[in-house]
Amino acid sequence: MNALNLILYVLAVLTCLACTVLLGRSYVQTGVRLLLWSTLCFVGLTVNNVLLFFDLVVFTTDADLRPWRLGAALAGLVFLLYGFVWDAEDDKP
Amino acid sequence: MEDSAFSDEFCRFIQTTVPSVGAAEVLLNLLRQPGRPWSAAEATREQPRDAIVSEDDARKWLELFAARGVVAQTPDGRFRYAPASADVDALVRILERAYNERPVTLIQMIYALRDAKIRSFADAFKFRKS
Amino acid sequence: MIEFMSGAVTLAYFIGAVFFLRFWRRTADRLFLAFAVAFALFALNQALVSLLEVDSEPESLLYALRVLGFILILAAIVDKNLSSGRTAR
Repeated sequence: MNALNLILYVLAVLTCLACTVLLGRSYVQTGVRLLLWSTLCFVGLTVNNVLLFFDLVVFTTDADLRPWRLGAALAGLVFLLYGFVWDAEDDKP
Repeated sequence: MEDSAFSDEFCRFIQTTVPSVGAAEVLLNLLRQPGRPWSAAEATREQPRDAIVSEDDARKWLELFAARGVVAQTPDGRFRYAPASADVDALVRILERAYNERPVTLIQMIYALRDAKIRSFADAFKFRKS
Repeated sequence: MIEFMSGAVTLAYFIGAVFFLRFWRRTADRLFLAFAVAFALFALNQALVSLLEVDSEPESLLYALRVLGFILILAAIVDKNLSSGRTAR
């Protein structure tokens, strides 16, 4: 994989990491549950991108990390969608 | 109407009890005829503007008002304006004044509070909190 | 199994994008529009990688979709911090 590709995949990891940190920090400061689910989502996406990086750069054909990659992304997104459906609006009963 | 009337307490009241402009209008309808019991159907029919409020929505709001001690439910399933305390009554009257005198401010406030959690997602990306 | 998870991830990204669009309509905050488009791109990327049975993502250029998505997110974060000093949003 050439240098450009490398940079772009690292960019993906760093972006997800930045989102994780920003959302996580805000959750700690405000306690808004939606932010918890959002943070967990980006944890999953960060893991997804880190594993993608490893899959393509380090392991290439030795191992197929796809189940783990997709599992991490799916777990993160499920948290996010749960948060969007139940914790995004202020309609307390 | 002064800005100070929009106190923190009033904001909390709006956030917990008045989820939308339609809900505010239903509540104010009940306020204007305090002794009268309303059904959800009646509440939807007698809107001050041509706002279309569904009966389901009206019922949902009336039940919310009842849960918050702003209205009381009668044995035959209708609702009557019956604030649990003088404080609640005062808050509803502030709502009425705001609706009449500062409707734009009130509407903006209702929707800003409704979207508070969503906005907190966007605000999380600010490096420096204002 | 992979197909199933790939499909699930695609749909989850897409639904996320739809929610972000809704939040954008509610709040008029550009950040949500950026996230909506980014997540839609992630969904598209995931779908195409699976449907076209791509072995190597970098070679297929499909990863450009993901890169675009991440650039959008970064741009939204930068935009949020540059403009939050001037406007109330």
